[in-house]
Amino acid sequence: MADEVILEYLHMEIISQFYRSCEKSDQDQCIAKLESLGFRIGQSLVERFTKESPRFKDELDTMKFICKDFWNYVYKKQIDNLRTNHQGVYVLQDNKFRFLTQMSNGKQFMEAAPKFLALPCGMIRGALSNLGVNCVVTAEVSAMPACKFQIQIQRA
Amino acid sequence: MSRQGTRGVDLRKVNGELFSLTYGALVAQLLKDYEDDEEVNKQLEKMGYNIGVRLIEDFLARSNVGRCNDFRETADVISKLAFKMYLGIQPVVSNWSAAGDEFSLLIENNPLTDFVELPPGHSQLNFSNILCGVLKAALEMVQMEVDVRFVQDTLKGDNITEIRLKFVKRLEDAVPVGED
Amino acid sequence: MAVCVAVIAKENYPLFIKTIPTDNELKFYYTVHTSLDVVEEKISSVGKNTNELRELYLGLLYPTEDYKVYGYVTNTKVKFVIVVESINSSLRDNEIRSMFRKLHNAYVDMVCNPFYTPGENITSQKFENVVMSMMHD
Repeated sequence: MADEVILEYLHMEIISQFYRSCEKSDQDQCIAKLESLGFRIGQSLVERFTKESPRFKDELDTMKFICKDFWNYVYKKQIDNLRTNHQGVYVLQDNKFRFLTQMSNGKQFMEAAPKFLALPCGMIRGALSNLGVNCVVTAEVSAMPACKFQIQIQRA
Repeated sequence: MSRQGTRGVDLRKVNGELFSLTYGALVAQLLKDYEDDEEVNKQLEKMGYNIGVRLIEDFLARSNVGRCNDFRETADVISKLAFKMYLGIQPVVSNWSAAGDEFSLLIENNPLTDFVELPPGHSQLNFSNILCGVLKAALEMVQMEVDVRFVQDTLKGDNITEIRLKFVKRLEDAVPVGED
Repeated sequence: MAVCVAVIAKENYPLFIKTIPTDNELKFYYTVHTSLDVVEEKISSVGKNTNELRELYLGLLYPTEDYKVYGYVTNTKVKFVIVVESINSSLRDNEIRSMFRKLHNAYVDMVCNPFYTPGENITSQKFENVVMSMMHD
């Protein structure tokens, strides 16, 4: 789809722009900025996506919504595997993550993965935060293009 | 039939919304970073330029269009094919100069500004300025130097959004244009 | 139609409140404030009965002598409160529902404005216009 191309190009260019405009020593700040951009997008998206949904029952219900509906709307597929330790940690596995499918499995790509995953992580955190679930989201790539997102719930 | 999500969300619309929301978040972030409308315009154009350089390849591969014979044909391809393909809209080509080297794209429903309400005090900001960069770069890649700029924007209360394109010169073949 | 429309943040502070021109705005503020307890009660009572439909529309929160107060909660825990005059008894349930739907759509679009920061007071002109249309119809 052509409209998916421009989204991908835009995402790549946002990453380059942020890295161009920040000091070499300040890579963390770029990641943080990408994450916060994603956060704001996630907040808006979830507001749209849940307009017609019945109210969520509990945290697990909310998490299932992220894995099925949210993922489906944004990435056109569902999460392949959801695990939880029932103590506030959820691990979402996507075996073919859209923003990684273009990349090869080399070492240099693995090192670049964090900057491609910062915005998607922020989107999850923004979506959940707006649904009343505060959390920290991190991502981990073991073999391209599979990706694991770990969600750690922050209890007040 | 439109594809409907399980909870009443139109999947076809989501891509467009995701794009608008991502772009909007970017512009808001740039305004925070640079605190200056003109500088944000410049950054957006630069980003558009970098996207345009790549997007033209994708466009030529998908659309199968050959070399345009004149600027009028170019205008048609931009509106009827390129805008339609990537943004789902078809701007009206109008306001040709007598010499045929200048025209306007009139955009009625700019998807980039779907949800946007500009905060007060940003009269210099061209919110969708990325489009100018994309057009400029894409045309440069097919050997046309064209001046592209916003002249009207519904976000600022104008009745229509208007992008003006002015043909400057034909570029030599096979001379790659430097980035930035 | 409506005499007062309010949007309340997840943390229960007002994001937006509009009343018809009146000498007694405070009365409406008080009405809205009181209604929040009923909203909380309705939300938290959910889940005990799993078959219950967990609708966003919460229905009539409570009637006073002069007014009827209706509530609605989004999945993002933002509450909408609409106050109508009791005399306006011709208003049917589905009309109230459609007012909330309109308000919800306007709210969602407002949140999607990249220059709005969620949790801040709502100053959007577009949003206000939708609310005004609900108060003048």
